[in-house]
Amino acid sequence: MSSHRKQPKSLKDISRPSEQLAHVDSLDLFPLPPPYDNPNDPPFKQLPQKTRDAFEASLDDTLVVGLPKPKTKEEEERLVQAFISGLRKLFTSENNWTFLQPLTLSMEHCARCQSCIDDCPYYEMSGHNELYRPTYRSEIFRRLYFKYVNPGVAGFNRMQNGDIELNWTLIARLLELAYRCTLCRRCAQSCPIGVDNGLITHELRKLFSSEMGITVKDLHEKGTVQQLKVGSSTGMSPIVVKDNIEFVDEDMTERTGIKVQTRWDVEGAEVLLLHNAGEILAWPDNPGCFALILDAAGISWTMSSDLVGYDGVNYGLFYDDVQLARIAYRHMEIAKKLKVKKIVMGECGHESKALGVIADRVFQGIPRETAMTLMADIVFSGKIKFDPSRNDFPVTLHDPCNLVRAMGVVEPQRKVLRYLAPRFREMTPHGVRNYCCGGGSGMAIMSQHNFMDWRLQVGGRKKFKQILDAFADEDLNSNSPKYLCAPCSNCKGQIRDLFDYYGAKAKSGLHYGGLVELIVNAMVDVKEGFINWDLM
Amino acid sequence: MATFEHGSVKIEVDEDGFMAEPENWNQDVALALASTEGVGAMTESHWKVANYLRDYYKQFGIAPMIRKLCKETGFSLKEIYDLYPSGPAKGACKVAGLPKPTGCV
Repeated sequence: MSSHRKQPKSLKDISRPSEQLAHVDSLDLFPLPPPYDNPNDPPFKQLPQKTRDAFEASLDDTLVVGLPKPKTKEEEERLVQAFISGLRKLFTSENNWTFLQPLTLSMEHCARCQSCIDDCPYYEMSGHNELYRPTYRSEIFRRLYFKYVNPGVAGFNRMQNGDIELNWTLIARLLELAYRCTLCRRCAQSCPIGVDNGLITHELRKLFSSEMGITVKDLHEKGTVQQLKVGSSTGMSPIVVKDNIEFVDEDMTERTGIKVQTRWDVEGAEVLLLHNAGEILAWPDNPGCFALILDAAGISWTMSSDLVGYDGVNYGLFYDDVQLARIAYRHMEIAKKLKVKKIVMGECGHESKALGVIADRVFQGIPRETAMTLMADIVFSGKIKFDPSRNDFPVTLHDPCNLVRAMGVVEPQRKVLRYLAPRFREMTPHGVRNYCCGGGSGMAIMSQHNFMDWRLQVGGRKKFKQILDAFADEDLNSNSPKYLCAPCSNCKGQIRDLFDYYGAKAKSGLHYGGLVELIVNAMVDVKEGFINWDLM
Repeated sequence: MATFEHGSVKIEVDEDGFMAEPENWNQDVALALASTEGVGAMTESHWKVANYLRDYYKQFGIAPMIRKLCKETGFSLKEIYDLYPSGPAKGACKVAGLPKPTGCV
């Protein structure tokens, strides 16, 4: 790696062609606590030269978008012009009905105090590599704003804010750099005046998607497009989802001794239950437990077998407002058609934010509730008898950023855990000061090229360290079970990959799951031992 | 898309190394893909998992629930990991020639 520097020296370096703008090697990474302090980790895989030759890969060690290099100078120039056009559109109300105001404020009012930078787990865990400093990306974007959107009288603003050369090298790097941030917004929270670097990243992704048609396949073709066409981002058609849920019902009935039967398309039900469909395929106990708990609480509920009606995922939240609105609109239509009293969003952070907050106006007053508040209400309603001693194992809680920091749903899940998990302990820090799992904004489902290495070694490092620290008073060299409660499908995917990567299940007994599984495990009417470590 | 070559096998794969054209799968392809996923040799148990995944995929167009895979093949999740160290989705599905599972799975 002697042919290039390890990190950019200035903002202007982003426009200067070089083989690779930044590089992180394993010695730069923040050390993990024992017994993971000297792991024989497989070395960080490097991109093969032929990949570097074929794709725009001059940012760092990995690739997420993987845009093929433009074939001609004309194509490059066309893309540069499209970028400028898209940049201007972001600052017009007719083209940016969602985020124009906070975006403009984030452009105009940053004092460059850098109070936010140490909040970023990517920046810290990379060994403070300048490229991942949250304000590195933002400040480049801000200079482009003052150059092309708001130069001021006689270019005064542009001069005052510093110049930057806009060329294809910069754009291609900015595209990848928009996917080295999980939109966790921990940095935004610590800004004294509310400048939002996460939003800036989001708007960059949006510009590339809406104006230039450049997206990440997992979010777009296989995500929102597939969801609107087939019914689910997982590819499950209505026939497949019903078949799978029937399997879940039978399995739950057998293991709990309580008859579980999901109901479909019931008009006038109190609750339309909308899971992240990934739960059904990968973590079926989660939807199974919802069914059992809602029945036990005497709540009338239904699932929908309409296209999109059985998948609460909305990846539009991560990269494209139009796709977000299309999916939210389908969810609204289905709730209206079924005349339900409210939608309950399953254990999924981004679903909760998309339906609960961002698409608020789409829902025309149809109430949406997160699973956390509903579950806390049920647990403390007195309708169900619990024996908390059944959860006699160490439990800690991961706070999904969208649910906790963005929405302020902090306390209900803790209230449940303090009651039902006698050995519950918090992570440090937690609540709205939590750290992202490292795979936020859909990055947990991305593993193209060598990105999995980056996502786990750099991205998830802070979370893994936090989890280990939370269980530091237990024996981490013993595989006696420890439970990480992570009420979010995306976070669970990242955590599974982290635990697999470090062999943490076998080595330290680290397991993960949702909140509802712990509730069912403590129910007196359920056969003892519902949580089965071998199935996890 | 990229071309993956191993011995006499030459197939198109996506950026994750999953088959671009699952219909071109055969046992030689499985052996070639297995070499990328830390699978030493394809034993009878490996084939049992791969064949179940193939059959399910042919019928429904996607990969089965992991729990179904375990129940139908009789292997525990741990045994699936023992067979395919990179797991049921990234390992077993890849070797069985399925496209990469999508969504939050």
